[in-house]
Amino acid sequence: MNRLPGIIVAVASEGDISLVDVAVGENTLTAMLVETAESAPYLEAGNAVSVLFKETEVSLGKDLRGRLSLRNRLQGEVADIRKGKLLAEVTLACGGHRLVSVITRRAAERLELAVGDRVEALIKANEIMLGERADGL
Amino acid sequence: MLELSLRKNLHTAEGNVTLDIELEAETGQFLTLFGRSGVGKTTCLRCIAGLTEPDHGRIAVGGEIWFDRTKGIDIPPQKRRVGFVFQDYALFPNLSVRENLRIALGDPKDERYLDELLELMDIRELERRLPTTLSGGQQQRVALARALARRPRLLLLDEPLSALDGETRQRLQNEILRIQRHFRMTTLMVSHDLGEVYRLSDRVIVIEGGRTVARGRPAEVFGNRRISGKFRFTGEVLAIEPNDVVFTLSILIGNRVVQVIATAQEMRDIQVGDAVMLVSKAFNPLVMKVDRNPGRLSPSRS
Repeated sequence: MNRLPGIIVAVASEGDISLVDVAVGENTLTAMLVETAESAPYLEAGNAVSVLFKETEVSLGKDLRGRLSLRNRLQGEVADIRKGKLLAEVTLACGGHRLVSVITRRAAERLELAVGDRVEALIKANEIMLGERADGL
Repeated sequence: MLELSLRKNLHTAEGNVTLDIELEAETGQFLTLFGRSGVGKTTCLRCIAGLTEPDHGRIAVGGEIWFDRTKGIDIPPQKRRVGFVFQDYALFPNLSVRENLRIALGDPKDERYLDELLELMDIRELERRLPTTLSGGQQQRVALARALARRPRLLLLDEPLSALDGETRQRLQNEILRIQRHFRMTTLMVSHDLGEVYRLSDRVIVIEGGRTVARGRPAEVFGNRRISGKFRFTGEVLAIEPNDVVFTLSILIGNRVVQVIATAQEMRDIQVGDAVMLVSKAFNPLVMKVDRNPGRLSPSRS
Protein backbone atom coordinates (compact mmCIF):
# COMPACT_ATOMS: atom_id res chain seq x y z
CA MET A 1 0.00 0.00 0.00
CA ASN A 2 1.18 3.52 -0.72
CA ARG A 3 1.03 5.76 2.29
CA LEU A 4 1.73 9.45 2.03
CA PRO A 5 1.45 11.96 4.87
CA GLY A 6 -0.84 14.88 4.20
CA ILE A 7 -2.89 17.69 5.69
CA ILE A 8 -6.58 18.13 4.94
CA VAL A 9 -7.17 21.47 3.21
CA ALA A 10 -10.86 21.24 2.29
CA VAL A 11 -13.89 18.99 2.66
CA ALA A 12 -16.94 19.22 0.38
CA SER A 13 -19.87 16.97 1.20
CA GLU A 14 -23.18 16.07 -0.39
CA GLY A 15 -25.32 13.51 1.41
CA ASP A 16 -22.96 10.75 2.58
CA ILE A 17 -20.26 11.45 0.02
CA SER A 18 -17.34 13.80 0.50
CA LEU A 19 -14.49 15.03 -1.62
CA VAL A 20 -11.55 15.65 0.64
CA ASP A 21 -8.60 17.67 -0.61
CA VAL A 22 -5.33 16.77 1.03
CA ALA A 23 -2.06 18.63 0.64
CA VAL A 24 0.79 16.18 0.13
CA GLY A 25 4.01 18.13 -0.18
CA GLU A 26 3.46 20.55 -3.06
CA ASN A 27 0.60 18.58 -4.57
CA THR A 28 -3.03 18.34 -3.63
CA LEU A 29 -4.74 14.98 -3.82
CA THR A 30 -8.48 14.48 -3.67
CA ALA A 31 -10.09 11.48 -2.00
CA MET A 32 -13.72 10.56 -2.57
CA LEU A 33 -15.18 8.99 0.56
CA VAL A 34 -18.53 7.63 1.73
CA GLU A 35 -18.06 9.54 4.94
CA THR A 36 -18.66 13.06 6.18
CA ALA A 37 -17.30 15.19 9.02
CA GLU A 38 -20.37 14.04 10.95
CA SER A 39 -19.59 10.32 10.68
CA ALA A 40 -15.81 10.82 10.80
CA PRO A 41 -14.92 13.86 12.91
CA TYR A 42 -11.28 13.81 11.77
CA LEU A 43 -12.42 15.06 8.34
CA GLU A 44 -11.65 18.66 9.10
CA ALA A 45 -9.32 21.12 7.42
CA GLY A 46 -5.96 21.28 9.18
CA ASN A 47 -5.95 17.66 10.39
CA ALA A 48 -3.06 15.36 9.58
CA VAL A 49 -3.99 12.23 7.66
CA SER A 50 -2.35 9.38 5.81
CA VAL A 51 -3.29 9.10 2.17
CA LEU A 52 -3.57 5.40 1.34
CA PHE A 53 -3.92 3.66 -2.01
CA LYS A 54 -3.06 0.34 -3.54
CA GLU A 55 -0.05 0.08 -5.87
CA THR A 56 -2.19 -1.59 -8.52
CA GLU A 57 -4.43 1.51 -8.67
CA VAL A 58 -1.61 3.81 -9.71
CA SER A 59 -1.36 4.50 -13.46
CA LEU A 60 1.70 6.11 -14.96
CA GLY A 61 1.92 8.76 -17.63
CA LYS A 62 4.85 10.15 -19.55
CA ASP A 63 4.86 13.35 -21.64
CA LEU A 64 1.17 13.81 -20.89
CA ARG A 65 -0.68 16.41 -22.89
CA GLY A 66 -4.30 17.30 -23.35
CA ARG A 67 -6.99 17.39 -20.74
CA LEU A 68 -7.58 14.51 -18.34
CA SER A 69 -10.47 13.92 -15.94
CA LEU A 70 -8.01 12.66 -13.38
CA ARG A 71 -6.90 15.42 -11.08
CA ASN A 72 -4.78 13.32 -8.79
CA ARG A 73 -1.46 13.68 -10.60
CA LEU A 74 1.86 13.39 -8.81
CA GLN A 75 5.12 14.31 -10.53
CA GLY A 76 7.93 11.92 -9.85
CA GLU A 77 11.10 10.34 -11.04
CA VAL A 78 11.50 6.63 -11.73
CA ALA A 79 13.82 5.31 -9.02
CA ASP A 80 13.54 1.60 -9.69
CA ILE A 81 11.86 -0.86 -12.04
CA ARG A 82 11.40 -4.52 -11.20
CA LYS A 83 10.05 -6.54 -14.09
CA GLY A 84 8.27 -9.87 -13.83
CA LYS A 85 6.89 -11.92 -16.68
CA LEU A 86 3.55 -10.11 -16.77
CA LEU A 87 3.86 -7.26 -14.32
CA ALA A 88 6.27 -4.50 -13.48
CA GLU A 89 6.75 -2.77 -10.16
CA VAL A 90 7.81 0.81 -10.67
CA THR A 91 9.08 2.84 -7.73
CA LEU A 92 8.90 6.61 -8.00
CA ALA A 93 10.55 9.32 -5.97
CA CYS A 94 7.89 11.99 -5.51
CA GLY A 95 9.03 15.04 -3.58
CA GLY A 96 10.80 13.10 -0.85
CA HIS A 97 8.27 10.27 -0.75
CA ARG A 98 8.42 6.90 -2.40
CA LEU A 99 5.46 5.74 -4.37
CA VAL A 100 5.01 2.36 -6.00
CA SER A 101 2.97 1.51 -9.07
CA VAL A 102 2.29 -2.00 -10.30
CA ILE A 103 1.39 -1.99 -13.99
CA THR A 104 1.69 -4.59 -16.71
CA ARG A 105 5.12 -5.22 -18.12
CA ARG A 106 3.70 -4.44 -21.57
CA ALA A 107 2.60 -1.01 -20.40
CA ALA A 108 5.99 -0.32 -18.85
CA GLU A 109 7.67 -1.27 -22.13
CA ARG A 110 5.29 0.79 -24.22
CA LEU A 111 6.21 3.81 -22.08
CA GLU A 112 9.87 2.84 -22.50
CA LEU A 113 10.29 3.46 -18.81
CA ALA A 114 13.82 3.81 -17.51
CA VAL A 115 15.30 4.81 -14.19
CA GLY A 116 15.57 8.61 -14.05
CA ASP A 117 12.53 9.23 -16.29
CA ARG A 118 10.15 12.02 -15.30
CA VAL A 119 6.65 10.54 -15.05
CA GLU A 120 3.28 11.32 -13.56
CA ALA A 121 1.45 9.00 -11.18
CA LEU A 122 -2.32 9.07 -11.69
CA ILE A 123 -4.80 7.88 -9.08
CA LYS A 124 -8.57 8.08 -9.24
CA ALA A 125 -10.14 9.92 -6.30
CA ASN A 126 -12.37 6.96 -5.47
CA GLU A 127 -9.33 4.71 -5.00
CA ILE A 128 -7.86 6.85 -2.24
CA MET A 129 -8.50 6.13 1.42
CA LEU A 130 -7.62 8.37 4.29
CA GLY A 131 -6.31 7.18 7.62
CA GLU A 132 -6.30 9.26 10.75
CA ARG A 133 -2.82 10.14 11.89
CA ALA A 134 -2.17 10.49 15.59
CA ASP A 135 1.46 11.52 15.28
CA GLY A 136 0.61 14.87 13.65
CA LEU A 137 3.62 14.58 11.35
CA MET B 1 -25.16 -12.42 35.53
CA LEU B 2 -21.44 -12.95 35.93
CA GLU B 3 -19.39 -10.39 37.81
CA LEU B 4 -15.75 -11.04 38.30
CA SER B 5 -12.77 -9.14 39.56
CA LEU B 6 -9.66 -10.99 40.47
CA ARG B 7 -5.97 -10.61 41.06
CA LYS B 8 -3.45 -13.36 41.20
CA ASN B 9 0.31 -13.54 40.97
CA LEU B 10 1.42 -16.05 38.38
CA HIS B 11 4.83 -17.57 37.90
CA THR B 12 5.18 -17.98 34.17
CA ALA B 13 8.01 -18.85 31.80
CA GLU B 14 8.37 -15.12 31.19
CA GLY B 15 8.69 -14.31 34.87
CA ASN B 16 6.16 -13.14 37.41
CA VAL B 17 2.95 -11.73 36.00
CA THR B 18 0.06 -10.29 37.94
CA LEU B 19 -3.26 -11.36 36.52
CA ASP B 20 -5.65 -8.49 37.05
CA ILE B 21 -9.02 -8.91 35.37
CA GLU B 22 -12.47 -7.45 35.74
CA LEU B 23 -15.37 -8.57 33.64
CA GLU B 24 -19.12 -8.79 33.51
CA ALA B 25 -21.42 -10.88 31.36
CA GLU B 26 -25.16 -10.77 30.92
CA THR B 27 -27.28 -13.90 30.77
CA GLY B 28 -26.86 -15.67 27.46
CA GLN B 29 -23.79 -13.70 26.42
CA PHE B 30 -20.80 -15.33 24.77
CA LEU B 31 -17.59 -13.77 26.03
CA THR B 32 -14.10 -14.62 24.85
CA LEU B 33 -10.76 -14.04 26.52
CA PHE B 34 -8.26 -13.56 23.75
CA GLY B 35 -4.50 -13.28 23.87
CA ARG B 36 -1.24 -15.16 23.64
CA SER B 37 -0.98 -18.26 25.78
CA GLY B 38 0.69 -17.94 29.16
CA VAL B 39 -1.04 -14.74 30.21
CA GLY B 40 -3.52 -16.16 32.69
CA LYS B 41 -6.64 -16.68 30.59
CA THR B 42 -6.95 -20.29 31.69
CA THR B 43 -6.24 -19.27 35.29
CA CYS B 44 -9.21 -16.95 35.07
CA LEU B 45 -11.50 -19.85 34.08
CA ARG B 46 -10.02 -22.06 36.81
CA CYS B 47 -10.68 -19.36 39.41
CA ILE B 48 -14.33 -19.21 38.35
CA ALA B 49 -14.62 -23.00 38.56
CA GLY B 50 -12.97 -22.97 41.99
CA LEU B 51 -9.96 -25.00 40.86
CA THR B 52 -7.54 -22.16 41.55
CA GLU B 53 -7.77 -19.62 44.33
CA PRO B 54 -7.37 -15.93 43.48
CA ASP B 55 -5.17 -13.78 45.74
CA HIS B 56 -7.83 -11.08 45.81
CA GLY B 57 -11.20 -10.54 44.29
CA ARG B 58 -14.82 -11.45 44.03
CA ILE B 59 -16.78 -13.80 41.77
CA ALA B 60 -20.57 -13.65 41.63
CA VAL B 61 -22.79 -15.69 39.33
CA GLY B 62 -26.51 -15.00 39.05
CA GLY B 63 -26.52 -13.06 42.31
CA GLU B 64 -24.76 -15.89 44.16
CA ILE B 65 -21.32 -15.13 45.58
CA TRP B 66 -18.89 -17.93 44.77
CA PHE B 67 -15.78 -16.21 45.99
CA ASP B 68 -15.12 -13.12 48.05
CA ARG B 69 -11.73 -12.73 49.64
CA THR B 70 -12.70 -9.94 52.01
CA LYS B 71 -15.78 -11.80 53.24
CA GLY B 72 -13.96 -15.13 53.38
CA ILE B 73 -16.40 -16.80 50.98
CA ASP B 74 -15.05 -19.65 48.86
CA ILE B 75 -17.71 -22.07 47.57
CA PRO B 76 -16.12 -25.48 46.80
CA PRO B 77 -15.83 -26.41 43.11
CA GLN B 78 -18.44 -29.17 43.23
CA LYS B 79 -21.02 -26.64 44.41
CA ARG B 80 -20.28 -24.12 41.69
CA ARG B 81 -22.55 -24.89 38.78
CA VAL B 82 -20.15 -24.59 35.89
CA GLY B 83 -19.64 -26.76 32.84
CA PHE B 84 -15.98 -26.90 31.96
CA VAL B 85 -14.69 -28.06 28.59
CA PHE B 86 -10.96 -28.57 28.29
CA GLN B 87 -8.76 -28.67 25.23
CA ASP B 88 -7.85 -32.32 25.91
CA TYR B 89 -11.48 -33.44 26.51
CA ALA B 90 -10.62 -34.98 29.93
CA LEU B 91 -13.12 -37.84 29.61
CA PHE B 92 -12.96 -40.92 31.81
CA PRO B 93 -11.33 -43.51 29.52
CA ASN B 94 -12.81 -46.53 31.30
CA LEU B 95 -16.42 -45.30 31.12
CA SER B 96 -18.75 -45.39 28.14
CA VAL B 97 -20.00 -42.15 26.63
CA ARG B 98 -23.29 -42.54 28.44
CA GLU B 99 -21.57 -43.23 31.78
CA ASN B 100 -19.30 -40.23 31.30
CA LEU B 101 -22.40 -38.09 31.00
CA ARG B 102 -24.32 -39.84 33.77
CA ILE B 103 -21.73 -39.21 36.48
CA ALA B 104 -21.84 -35.52 35.64
CA LEU B 105 -25.64 -35.27 35.95
CA GLY B 106 -26.90 -33.14 38.81
CA ASP B 107 -29.60 -35.76 39.40
CA PRO B 108 -28.28 -39.24 38.44
CA LYS B 109 -31.86 -40.39 37.69
CA ASP B 110 -32.46 -37.65 35.17
CA GLU B 111 -32.27 -40.09 32.23
CA ARG B 112 -34.53 -37.92 30.10
CA TYR B 113 -32.14 -35.01 30.19
CA LEU B 114 -29.29 -37.39 29.46
CA ASP B 115 -31.12 -38.65 26.36
CA GLU B 116 -31.88 -35.10 25.33
CA LEU B 117 -28.19 -34.23 25.51
CA LEU B 118 -27.19 -37.29 23.47
CA GLU B 119 -29.71 -36.29 20.81
CA LEU B 120 -28.78 -32.65 20.90
CA MET B 121 -25.08 -33.33 20.46
CA ASP B 122 -25.77 -36.02 17.89
CA ILE B 123 -23.85 -38.69 19.83
CA ARG B 124 -26.74 -41.08 20.43
CA GLU B 125 -25.11 -43.87 18.37
CA LEU B 126 -21.90 -43.51 20.34
CA GLU B 127 -23.40 -43.91 23.81
CA ARG B 128 -21.93 -47.39 24.47
CA ARG B 129 -18.49 -46.62 23.06
CA LEU B 130 -15.40 -45.88 25.13
CA PRO B 131 -13.85 -42.43 24.58
CA THR B 132 -10.59 -43.88 23.23
CA THR B 133 -12.46 -45.37 20.27
CA LEU B 134 -13.79 -41.96 19.23
CA SER B 135 -12.33 -39.29 16.96
CA GLY B 136 -11.17 -35.99 18.45
CA GLY B 137 -14.28 -34.19 17.22
CA GLN B 138 -16.56 -36.88 18.68
CA GLN B 139 -14.74 -36.78 22.01
CA GLN B 140 -15.16 -33.03 22.18
CA ARG B 141 -18.90 -33.40 21.48
CA VAL B 142 -19.08 -35.79 24.42
CA ALA B 143 -17.08 -33.39 26.59
CA LEU B 144 -19.48 -30.59 25.68
CA ALA B 145 -22.51 -32.77 26.47
CA ARG B 146 -20.91 -33.70 29.78
CA ALA B 147 -20.30 -30.06 30.63
CA LEU B 148 -24.00 -29.41 30.05
CA ALA B 149 -25.06 -32.46 32.08
CA ARG B 150 -24.64 -30.53 35.33
CA ARG B 151 -27.19 -28.00 34.08
CA PRO B 152 -24.55 -25.33 34.60
CA ARG B 153 -25.26 -21.66 35.04
CA LEU B 154 -22.03 -20.89 33.27
CA LEU B 155 -20.19 -22.68 30.49
CA LEU B 156 -16.39 -22.40 30.51
CA LEU B 157 -14.53 -23.37 27.35
CA ASP B 158 -10.75 -23.51 27.50
CA GLU B 159 -9.46 -23.54 23.90
CA PRO B 160 -11.95 -26.33 23.31
CA LEU B 161 -11.22 -26.83 19.63
CA SER B 162 -7.53 -26.08 19.28
CA ALA B 163 -6.55 -29.77 19.07
CA LEU B 164 -8.88 -30.39 16.13
CA ASP B 165 -8.31 -30.06 12.40
CA GLY B 166 -9.73 -27.04 10.60
CA GLU B 167 -12.84 -28.64 9.17
CA THR B 168 -13.86 -30.37 12.40
CA ARG B 169 -13.15 -27.17 14.27
CA GLN B 170 -15.52 -25.21 12.10
CA ARG B 171 -18.26 -27.81 12.42
CA LEU B 172 -17.93 -27.80 16.19
CA GLN B 173 -17.91 -24.01 16.31
CA ASN B 174 -21.34 -24.10 14.73
CA GLU B 175 -22.41 -26.79 17.23
CA ILE B 176 -21.20 -24.73 20.18
CA LEU B 177 -23.07 -21.71 18.90
CA ARG B 178 -26.26 -23.73 18.38
CA ILE B 179 -26.10 -25.27 21.87
CA GLN B 180 -25.18 -21.99 23.49
CA ARG B 181 -28.22 -20.31 21.91
CA HIS B 182 -30.47 -23.30 22.64
CA PHE B 183 -29.81 -23.09 26.38
CA ARG B 184 -29.14 -19.33 26.38
CA MET B 185 -26.04 -20.33 28.27
CA THR B 186 -23.74 -17.61 29.53
CA THR B 187 -20.38 -18.70 28.14
CA LEU B 188 -16.80 -17.71 28.73
CA MET B 189 -14.26 -19.06 26.26
CA VAL B 190 -10.50 -18.84 26.04
CA SER B 191 -9.17 -18.75 22.50
CA HIS B 192 -6.32 -17.43 20.45
CA ASP B 193 -7.99 -18.23 17.14
CA LEU B 194 -9.19 -14.98 15.64
CA GLY B 195 -11.70 -16.64 13.30
CA GLU B 196 -13.20 -18.47 16.25
CA VAL B 197 -13.42 -15.30 18.31
CA TYR B 198 -15.26 -13.53 15.49
CA ARG B 199 -17.62 -16.40 14.80
CA LEU B 200 -18.64 -17.16 18.35
CA SER B 201 -18.31 -14.21 20.66
CA ASP B 202 -20.64 -11.36 21.41
CA ARG B 203 -17.80 -9.64 23.19
CA VAL B 204 -14.10 -10.16 23.43
CA ILE B 205 -11.60 -9.16 26.09
CA VAL B 206 -8.01 -8.94 24.93
CA ILE B 207 -5.50 -9.82 27.62
CA GLU B 208 -1.81 -9.03 27.47
CA GLY B 209 0.64 -9.53 30.30
CA GLY B 210 -2.22 -10.37 32.67
CA ARG B 211 -4.12 -7.16 31.96
CA THR B 212 -7.06 -6.18 29.82
CA VAL B 213 -5.86 -4.10 26.90
CA ALA B 214 -9.08 -3.96 24.88
CA ARG B 215 -12.69 -5.03 25.14
CA GLY B 216 -15.81 -4.79 23.03
CA ARG B 217 -17.46 -6.46 20.07
CA PRO B 218 -14.88 -8.33 17.97
CA ALA B 219 -15.34 -5.97 15.02
CA GLU B 220 -14.75 -2.97 17.26
CA VAL B 221 -11.72 -4.46 18.92
CA PHE B 222 -9.97 -5.92 15.90
CA GLY B 223 -11.19 -3.62 13.15
CA ASN B 224 -9.28 -0.38 12.93
CA ARG B 225 -12.08 2.15 12.82
CA ARG B 226 -9.87 5.09 12.09
CA ILE B 227 -9.54 4.46 8.42
CA SER B 228 -12.03 5.50 5.79
CA GLY B 229 -12.31 2.20 3.84
CA LYS B 230 -15.80 0.78 4.06
CA PHE B 231 -14.96 -2.87 3.43
CA ARG B 232 -12.99 -4.04 6.37
CA PHE B 233 -12.41 -7.64 7.30
CA THR B 234 -10.00 -9.21 9.70
CA GLY B 235 -8.58 -12.55 8.75
CA GLU B 236 -5.72 -14.93 9.13
CA VAL B 237 -2.99 -15.44 6.54
CA LEU B 238 -3.05 -19.09 5.48
CA ALA B 239 -0.57 -19.01 2.64
CA ILE B 240 1.78 -16.65 0.79
CA GLU B 241 2.73 -17.37 -2.81
CA PRO B 242 5.14 -15.20 -4.75
CA ASN B 243 3.72 -14.55 -8.22
CA ASP B 244 5.52 -12.40 -10.75
CA VAL B 245 6.53 -9.17 -8.93
CA VAL B 246 3.67 -9.46 -6.42
CA PHE B 247 2.37 -11.98 -3.88
CA THR B 248 -0.90 -13.86 -3.69
CA LEU B 249 -2.16 -14.21 -0.14
CA SER B 250 -4.79 -16.73 0.89
CA ILE B 251 -6.66 -15.28 3.82
CA LEU B 252 -9.25 -16.95 6.01
CA ILE B 253 -12.14 -14.60 6.70
CA GLY B 254 -14.93 -16.18 8.70
CA ASN B 255 -15.16 -19.60 7.11
CA ARG B 256 -14.11 -18.51 3.65
CA VAL B 257 -10.73 -18.25 2.07
CA VAL B 258 -10.18 -15.25 -0.17
CA GLN B 259 -7.20 -14.41 -2.32
CA VAL B 260 -5.64 -11.00 -2.29
CA ILE B 261 -2.71 -9.49 -4.15
CA ALA B 262 -0.04 -7.76 -2.08
CA THR B 263 3.19 -6.06 -3.03
CA ALA B 264 6.66 -6.87 -1.73
CA GLN B 265 6.54 -3.80 0.47
CA GLU B 266 3.22 -4.80 2.04
CA MET B 267 4.62 -8.28 2.71
CA ARG B 268 7.64 -7.06 4.63
CA ASP B 269 6.24 -7.81 8.07
CA ILE B 270 3.54 -10.32 7.19
CA GLN B 271 3.89 -14.06 7.74
CA VAL B 272 1.65 -17.11 7.57
CA GLY B 273 -0.49 -17.18 10.69
CA ASP B 274 -0.61 -13.41 11.09
CA ALA B 275 -3.88 -11.64 11.65
CA VAL B 276 -4.41 -9.02 8.97
CA MET B 277 -7.00 -6.43 8.13
CA LEU B 278 -8.25 -6.15 4.57
CA VAL B 279 -9.61 -2.78 3.60
CA SER B 280 -11.30 -1.73 0.42
CA LYS B 281 -13.43 1.20 -0.61
CA ALA B 282 -17.18 1.41 -0.92
CA PHE B 283 -16.66 2.35 -4.56
CA ASN B 284 -14.89 -0.84 -5.59
CA PRO B 285 -17.32 -3.74 -5.33
CA LEU B 286 -19.55 -4.58 -8.25
CA VAL B 287 -23.10 -5.29 -7.20
CA MET B 288 -24.88 -8.22 -8.80
CA LYS B 289 -28.25 -9.65 -8.03
CA VAL B 290 -28.26 -13.22 -6.75
CA ASP B 291 -30.91 -15.75 -7.69
CA ARG B 292 -32.63 -16.77 -4.47
CA ASN B 293 -33.67 -20.09 -5.98
CA PRO B 294 -30.37 -21.39 -7.24
CA GLY B 295 -31.90 -24.83 -7.78
CA ARG B 296 -34.15 -23.42 -10.49
CA LEU B 297 -32.61 -22.85 -13.85
CA SER B 298 -32.79 -19.26 -14.90
CA PRO B 299 -33.62 -18.56 -18.54
CA SER B 300 -30.65 -18.12 -20.77
CA ARG B 301 -30.03 -14.59 -21.91
CA SER B 302 -27.77 -15.29 -24.80
